[in-house]
Formats: sequence, structure tokens, C-alpha cells
Amino acid sequence: MVAAGLQLVFGVQKIVNLACGSFYALGAYFGVTVVTRALAAGLPPPLFLVVLIAGGLALAAIGPIVERVLRPVYDRDESFQIILTFALVLMFEDITRFIWGSSPYQMGNVYLVYGQWKIGRLTVPVYNLIVIAAGGLIALGMGFVLSRTRFGRIVRATAENREMSEALGVDMRRIYARVFTLGTALGTVGGALVIPATAVTLDVAVEVIVEAFAVVVISGLGSMRGTFVGALLVGVLKAVAIAAYPELELLVIYVIVIAVLVLRPAGLFARAAA
Amino acid sequence: MATTRRQFLELVGGAAALATARLDTAPAFAQATPVRMGVLTIKSGIGAQVGEAGLRSAQWTTDRINKAGGILGRKLELVVEEESTPKDTVERFRKLALQNKVDVITGVISTGVSLAIGPVAEELKMLWISWDGTTQKGVEETMPNPRYSFRSTDNECEAVMASIVVAKNWKGKFRTVAGINPDYSYGRDNWQAFLWIMEKYGNPVTPVSDLWPKLGTTDFTAHVAALQQAKPDLIFSSHWAGDASVLMKQAHAAGLVGNTKFVFVVAGGVHETLKKSFTPEGMFLGYNTIYFDYADASPLQKQFVKEYNDRYKEWPVFECERAYLVTSAYKAAVEKAAKAIGGKWPTTDQVIDALEGLELESLGGKARYRKDHIPECNFYGGFTTYKNRFDFVTIDPVVKMTGPEVQKPSGVGLKDWIQSWKV
Amino acid sequence: MTGRVVLGLVVLGVAAAPLLGHQYYTTLMLPFFGYSLAVLGLNLLFGYTGLLSFGGALFVALGAYTAAYLTSVFGVLAFEGIVLAAAVVGFLVAIPVGLLCVRYVRIYFGMLTLAFGMLFYSFLFKFYHLTGGDEGLRVLRPRLFGLAFESLDKVQFLTGPFYYYSLALMVVGTAVMWRIARSPFGLCLRSIRENPGKAEYVGVSVRRYRFYAFLIAGVFGAVGGTLLAVPTGLADPLLAYWPHSGTLVFMMLLGGFSNFFGPILGAFVFIFLQDQVMSLTQYWRFVFGLILAIVVIFVPRGLMGFLDPRQRAGV
Repeated sequence: MVAAGLQLVFGVQKIVNLACGSFYALGAYFGVTVVTRALAAGLPPPLFLVVLIAGGLALAAIGPIVERVLRPVYDRDESFQIILTFALVLMFEDITRFIWGSSPYQMGNVYLVYGQWKIGRLTVPVYNLIVIAAGGLIALGMGFVLSRTRFGRIVRATAENREMSEALGVDMRRIYARVFTLGTALGTVGGALVIPATAVTLDVAVEVIVEAFAVVVISGLGSMRGTFVGALLVGVLKAVAIAAYPELELLVIYVIVIAVLVLRPAGLFARAAA
Repeated sequence: MATTRRQFLELVGGAAALATARLDTAPAFAQATPVRMGVLTIKSGIGAQVGEAGLRSAQWTTDRINKAGGILGRKLELVVEEESTPKDTVERFRKLALQNKVDVITGVISTGVSLAIGPVAEELKMLWISWDGTTQKGVEETMPNPRYSFRSTDNECEAVMASIVVAKNWKGKFRTVAGINPDYSYGRDNWQAFLWIMEKYGNPVTPVSDLWPKLGTTDFTAHVAALQQAKPDLIFSSHWAGDASVLMKQAHAAGLVGNTKFVFVVAGGVHETLKKSFTPEGMFLGYNTIYFDYADASPLQKQFVKEYNDRYKEWPVFECERAYLVTSAYKAAVEKAAKAIGGKWPTTDQVIDALEGLELESLGGKARYRKDHIPECNFYGGFTTYKNRFDFVTIDPVVKMTGPEVQKPSGVGLKDWIQSWKV
Repeated sequence: MTGRVVLGLVVLGVAAAPLLGHQYYTTLMLPFFGYSLAVLGLNLLFGYTGLLSFGGALFVALGAYTAAYLTSVFGVLAFEGIVLAAAVVGFLVAIPVGLLCVRYVRIYFGMLTLAFGMLFYSFLFKFYHLTGGDEGLRVLRPRLFGLAFESLDKVQFLTGPFYYYSLALMVVGTAVMWRIARSPFGLCLRSIRENPGKAEYVGVSVRRYRFYAFLIAGVFGAVGGTLLAVPTGLADPLLAYWPHSGTLVFMMLLGGFSNFFGPILGAFVFIFLQDQVMSLTQYWRFVFGLILAIVVIFVPRGLMGFLDPRQRAGV
């Protein structure tokens, strides 16, 4: 999810957003807060997913604000963009600490509301499947929006050739703000969706960025289709490494990233001219 | 270019002058001036929770000391700096010692940082009493004979305790074991201690899996899958932060809980997040040096726990005990040293001599600083139960073990010590 | 000419700083010397060649671990040897890493250097039998020109002989970098930054020059790392973690990448600012993030841009 947001923003705006990890963390923290409140207010537990997603979407409102901050550097070298989003990461960590404190946050008893499935010897919480399905749906949905709708066509045109679309009367600012907000929403909803299964701590942002980057690099910058596959690939490879040779868990991701960058810098799934 | 260079140089010169021209605060040792205690504590990342708990406790202890008249009539004052990377923390330590001219420095939680700080304390001849930083290597190699550094209890104390209790209670009930421990020296020491102790107790176990997730991991899906494949009778973990409850939650969701026995040696640091909904009854849960709901606790602990909960709406974790121990040990040592020299304010060397062998009451009961600068504290743990007024698991009955029972004596290796036991 | 006079005066001023007797601030100058060198190297890549490296910490950590290995494993205490060894190690590691990295530019270069940095971090963390893992490796007090200065305690050593040694090393390093930047080689690098296609056209082998710049940056980073490691007394894996690379980039931008002295000023301001802000508030990361954001948005040429009116006007 985070990777998808990163992809979208990069693909269209050519901005590498390190702050995507912070959005993820914010989404998770905020998700805990809204769901806990909602449950306390008498919401039936199975509906928590709705609240969670709504919370994630609502939080995406910070997207336009952040986008406004980034606007001055659009025309500059992307190095500056990375650095500016790095500055945002620093700020967001302290903001979350200020609001939610330093203790890890987790959600009450909603993880198993949807039950568990037994597949042979394995037991899988249905919620995990929901998240995976949501990821797939979002990838499909994004694909649909980008390829079939008017908005998508404009966005793609912008990504191809900014000057040209501007000349054709496309309001760049609005497009950028929307795309960025969409990217933010992917991050915040992603964070919110994962939180029932886990807990969120202060250093989540820094951790997630590195993994999201790995996914993005492996699947190719700007390739939406590749992202979902890339994310699965990273997950599977990590699982294999953990099962086969746990000592290598940390190393394996970077080795893959370097290998992909060196051998196929455009990513495994990108067309040659990406 | 001349302009550029000149202006650059002016700026550097000006800044240098500014930086160095700040006046020192006068370190006059009059009765009226407060005693200044530096505190280094983690404020960011995975360790921030325990770091903050320790700081709250140090503040509580300080207020308590001051309400009772301070140390020999002088108020105690905390100067707090952040513990971060070893390099930065060494700089903060130097600042406290050289610039703020504090009388004593306390705090430091991370192992890597404490290994960097120890030698610096010795170099600066600055009394440093650590809250929690310690390792095997720290004891045996890096600081063989520390003079100015007082460290914390050994790494594997809580693992030793857990292993002994488990070996006795579950004898013969498990054969295959899996370890899932944070990927650094602390996790490795604990896992090693567990295996040695099982052997010693004639409880031969077969490790079927040992996993090393990074400290602070929030997704254990793959680890849990590996554990499912390995199907151990017992899972041993020394994750101590938010990651412990995530591990428990995901293991539960994957159906690992039920037939498998769980041993969490130090998850008492995050006991509140181990909710009943996903944490089994009857697993071993270690609480380190304080158990917040201990029925036989001292009035001191009860008062602390109550006031802490009233104020922060949380139940105190082990770092609170560490910070209390260290802060009050300094006071006790100063007073003991002063008594020996007729009531005058003692020198650092005299305080150190007084600290060696000092006995005092900490939150978790009687504690003592050994001659080799390592404290002895009580350790708490037990098997989990749902029978309580909280939404998280607690332990019943509470097992308490004393320092000498769980900590190797001075100058003896862990393995040799374990093998010398009579069981 | 006045510039040179003032330059001399500042070096004299820095040299006189320990005499003021503020030991703590004097010790803070030591990481400044180390970072200055590392950031100068980084700036050769960015300011002159246009490549932003997010793996600067890799070389700093290499230098620190070289110092740790030599002093505490092999018992080599001669600091001259340590610096030389670090330079060689930095150079040797920069060869394969550089060969792979300089094939790419812009964001790919940044990500590849980041990945290599993290690979090294994971290595340090994982292979703890070799590296000490999370606990790191001790860096023992070195000898300078064969002298141990045994009569001095560590702080006196750091603020005395070692201070001047580091200062001298930094001045020499800066002078070398100055020569490099002003040489035909440096001009070629700048032409690459401005327009790689054109540079190639007029006969500059772009990739080879980028590679050389990468090697030089690696050596400067590693030497800077040894200077950092001695005052800390420990080499630890966090030196290679990616936010540390971010710190190096921060220093470079703060001072101003387009000016030769920018990185040095940036390192200086960063260290002393961090010292003050960290003591003032626990939310110092927020403050630093804000400063960085302001620098990037409003003063991309950094503090040096403020100082030089011609640059402010966009020349």
C-alpha cells in the first residue's frame, strides 16, 4: 500500500516521497484512535473496518497541505525533493510523539472479529486475507482509474509530458494536489489497515520507508502493476529467508535491491523505456 | 571569491567565539546550591517507552527526596539529555560532565551506548550509575575493573529466572523448543542461557528453530509461519518492547497458541499490551525487577504504583524500578560517605567507596551494589492468568527470586556458573 | 588577498580555541573536523558532479571500523597508519561500489548508494563475531607520531594533541580538496553537473570522471570516520544507518553545496546547533526538520548563499 502511494506520486510527479512512511505511521496511530473511540461509542465490532478506512481517508486531508509545502521544489533537481521529504519525516516523528506519546499503540480485540480459516495445517486469520484482497483491489482500482477514466488519462498525459498537457489547458496544480492526496491516502489507509494485526511504534516510519523503497525499486519506479507483485515478492522472499536461513533476514532485501538496480534499473516489471 | 571566503570566515569565527564564550555555571559546593544529576534517556524509537517510564520514575524519586529535605540539605536537580546513538550520547555525556558540571550522571538503557559511555566515564572520572545498560562483553572485556561506572544487572538474569522456573515446573513436558529473540547481544545471551540451563536441569531439548527478528519488528507473519512449520513444544522469546505483544497477537491469530508453551522472559515491560484476548493463560511471563500488582509489595512500591497510575494512567514497568534504584542509591551513598567523614559533603571517590557494598530498599524490595559495581535486585515472574481486574494478563502466583539466585557472581563466566549449580 | 588573510586568521582562531579552556566545546570541534572532511567529499559528488549520495555514512562507518579494528584487534595504535589504512579501505570499497553506482544518475544513484549503505549496516549488525554486532568495536586511544602522551588524560589528549592533529588533517584535506576542485579535473566534474551530454561531446568521459569523484569522496568519508571514531571511542553500526547519511546531506545543504566552504560551515553550524537545541527541547527533530525544510525551499544555496550576494542574485 505504501509502495503503491509512493509509486503513484513518483510516477506522475517524479517526486520521491520519503514521507510516505510517516503517512503510514500516522494512519496507524489515527486508526487506533478512531476505532477505539468508535467501539467505545457502541459500534458493533464487525463494522470497525469501515471506520478504519474512513479514518485513513479522512487523514489523507493532510495530503494537500504537504503537497503545498513541496510545491516550490517541483522544478528543481529531485535530490532536493528527497531531502525535503526527509525533513518531513523528522518533523512527523516528533508530531506523532507529541500527540500519541512514546508507548506502542495497538488496537483492542478486533483482529479476529472475522474469524480464522484453516487451510491444511495452517491457520490464517481472515483479516489478513481481507488486507491482501484490499491491496489487490486497490491495485486494480488504481489501474482502472489510470487507464479508463478522464482523470486517469490526464494524469498519464501529465506524467508523459508536462509541458504539453499544460499547454492543452490542464491545471497542473489541481492535478498534482489530487494525485498527491491520493498517494497520501494510500499510505494512511495502508497504515490503518495493517494496525489491527500489529502495533505501531515511533520508529515505524523509518522502517517502512526502507521496505517500501525495496518494493518500489524491485517493481520499477512508477509502475503500478509491478508494485503489487513486487510487494508480494519481497514478502515471499523474506519468508523464505526466515524459514531457510534466519540469520540472513536483514541482508536479503538489500541484496535483492542492489541486484535489481544493477541488472534492471527500470525494475523487473517496467517496460524497457521506463 | 574573496568576498565569499572572508564572509564565511567571519561567520565561522563569530560562531566559534559565541559558542566558546558562554559562561560556565559556577560549581560552588555551598550547602544552598542544588546537587545536579545528569540523566541520559531514550526519547525516540522503540526504546522511547521505557526511556520515558524511567524518566518519570527518576522525577518521582527526586521529588520524594526533595520533599524529605534533599540530600544532606541540598536539593536534587535533574539535568536531562537524550540518549541516542553511541556517538551522540558520548557527546551528551561530555556535555553533562564538562559543561553542566553535574555531580553524577545516571541513565543509559541501550547496550551499545553503555559500552561507549563506560570508558568515557572512566576517562572523565565522572561517576556514572547506569539504569539498564549492560552486557556480557561489558562485564568481561571492556570494563574489567570499572571505578567510576556502575552498571546494571547482567543481561540474562531474567532469562535465567525464566529458565529455572520453566525447567522445574514443566519438567519432561517439552522436548522441541524454538527461540525467537531480538537480533542483538541481549537476545543472543538470553537464548544461550536458556539452552545451557535446560541441559543443566537434565531437560534435554532440541532447538528446532531459532529466529532473529530485528528489535522492534512489527510484522512477524513470516516468523510465525516458520514457527508453525517447526511445531515446537515451547517457544522462548526475549522481545521486550511493543514487538512482544505483536508477536503474541500474530502467533495467536495463526493458531499457534493452544498446544504450544510460551516463555516471554521480559515482556513484563509491555504487560499492559498483552491483552487477554490473544495472550494465553499459563504461559511464563517475566517482569524483571518489579511486578506492579505484587500483593506482598512494600509500602514504598504500593505508593509508587498508585501515584504513577493516578498520574499517567499506566502501570509502571521495570525501568521505573531501575531509575528509582539508581537515584536513591546515589542519595544513600552520599549520606553514608558523609557520615564516615563527619557530615561534610563527600568527594566523588568517597561516594564510590560508599556505593560499593551499599544496601538499600528499592521499589522491588532489597537491593545491593556489589563490589564489582553490579547491583543485585529481586526478579519477578510467573504463569499468566485471566483472574484479575484488567483487560490484560497478570501472573499468579508471583515467583520472586533474589539477585544471587539469578545473577552470576563476580568474575565467573555464565556457563561455568550454571554448571556449578546443584540441582 | 583579504580572503587568504582571513582564512589564516580563522585557522589561527580555531587553533587557539582550546586555550579558552572550555573543554566541552573544544571536544565538540573534533566531530566537526571529521564531518567536514566527509561532507567535503560528499559535496564533490553533489555540488560538483551532481550526484546525491545517500550512502555517505557507509564510508564514515568504514573509517570508524578501520580504526576500531586496527586499534583493538591488531593493536596498531599509530594514527598515521590508521588514517592511511582507512583511506586505502575507503578507496578499495569505493571501487566496486562506485563502478556499480556511477552507471546511474539522479534518483537511481541515490537509491543504490542507500542500498549499499544499508547492506553494510546489516553486515555490521549480523556478523557480530567479526564486528561486535550492536555493541560495536572499541576504538583505543591512538599514538600520534609515535607519541602516546601518557601524562595526559583522555580529555586533555583530545583537546590537546589530538585536536591539533585533527585540525591539521582537516586543513590538509581541505587544501587537497581545494586543489581538486580548482584543477581541470574539478572543472570537468562541474561541466558534467551542468550538462553531461555536452561534457561527453567535448571529450570528457562522464562515467570515468564520476567514478573518480566517487573514489575521492569515499576516501574523504573514511578519513573523516577515523577522526569521528577516536573521540567516541567506539565504532557502532548506527554510523552506517541511513539517517546518518541524511545527516551528512543535511550538513552539506545547510552550509551550501554550491560553495567550496559550504560543507565546512554546514558541519560546524549543524553540530553546535544540535548541541544547543537538543538540550532545549526533546522535540529537536522537529526543529531540525523545519530548518531543513526552510533551507531546501527558501535558501537552496544554504548559509553560504546568504553570505555571497552574487549567488543570492542567482549568478
